Amino acid sequence: MEKTFKISALDGLHARPCTLLVSAATPFKSEATLRYKDRSANLKSIMSVMSQAVPTGAVITISAVGEDEVALMERVVDIFISQGLGEEC
Amino acid sequence: MFTKLFNKKKLQVIAPITGDVVSLREVPDPVFSEGMMGGGIAIMPKEGGIHSPVEGTIILVADTSHAVGIQATDGTEILIHIGLETVTLKGVGFKTHVQVGDAVSIGQLLIEADWDYLKEHAKSILTPVIITNSSSRTITSSNNAQCIANETVLLTISTH
Repeated sequence: MEKTFKISALDGLHARPCTLLVSAATPFKSEATLRYKDRSANLKSIMSVMSQAVPTGAVITISAVGEDEVALMERVVDIFISQGLGEEC
Repeated sequence: MFTKLFNKKKLQVIAPITGDVVSLREVPDPVFSEGMMGGGIAIMPKEGGIHSPVEGTIILVADTSHAVGIQATDGTEILIHIGLETVTLKGVGFKTHVQVGDAVSIGQLLIEADWDYLKEHAKSILTPVIITNSSSRTITSSNNAQCIANETVLLTISTH
């Protein structure tokens, strides 16, 4: 499954937001990626997500594939909203 | 593959900056102190630039120059986050000397920091050095109180 988000975190996805997202995705079995422009990052790797350098205002797609993809996505959406990182669009 | 298994090497992470060594638990930012990013250590810088702690490849240079990531030749990923909340400085106070994809050797200058400017404008200049893929690794601190860039062994990493 996939969801698209618009980033509202003021400084984009820097160390803290990346860590929160990766910490949310890592406990699940499903594979998770963050796509920005034409590049994909492993949502379970802090360095991979940070190197995307996603700025505020950017639109990204999170995809999750696997047996617990729904739960993973719910957790990620929760982090986006509760931490003010962005909103679904 | 077998030679790789039997020939298990430990990676030494050499101090990237000269300063005082601080436990990660004492970093006043839960992302670092609670180990959310991974295990590691922090340095309160005294002087000089930020140098490569290992031989490897640059895999991250923040647009705002306040963080640099190096993948060591054994796959260990090391993030050096210069100061706390320094993303808000938008690159002022830093000068990068490398870009993503560069091969680097131990001691190579990565970033220069204007510590006086950072002390005045950043929350802290305390610099966490984090192993971001630490789940399959054991990190041992050398327990030094001070460290000298390109000289002191900060951490020893063994891969399971």
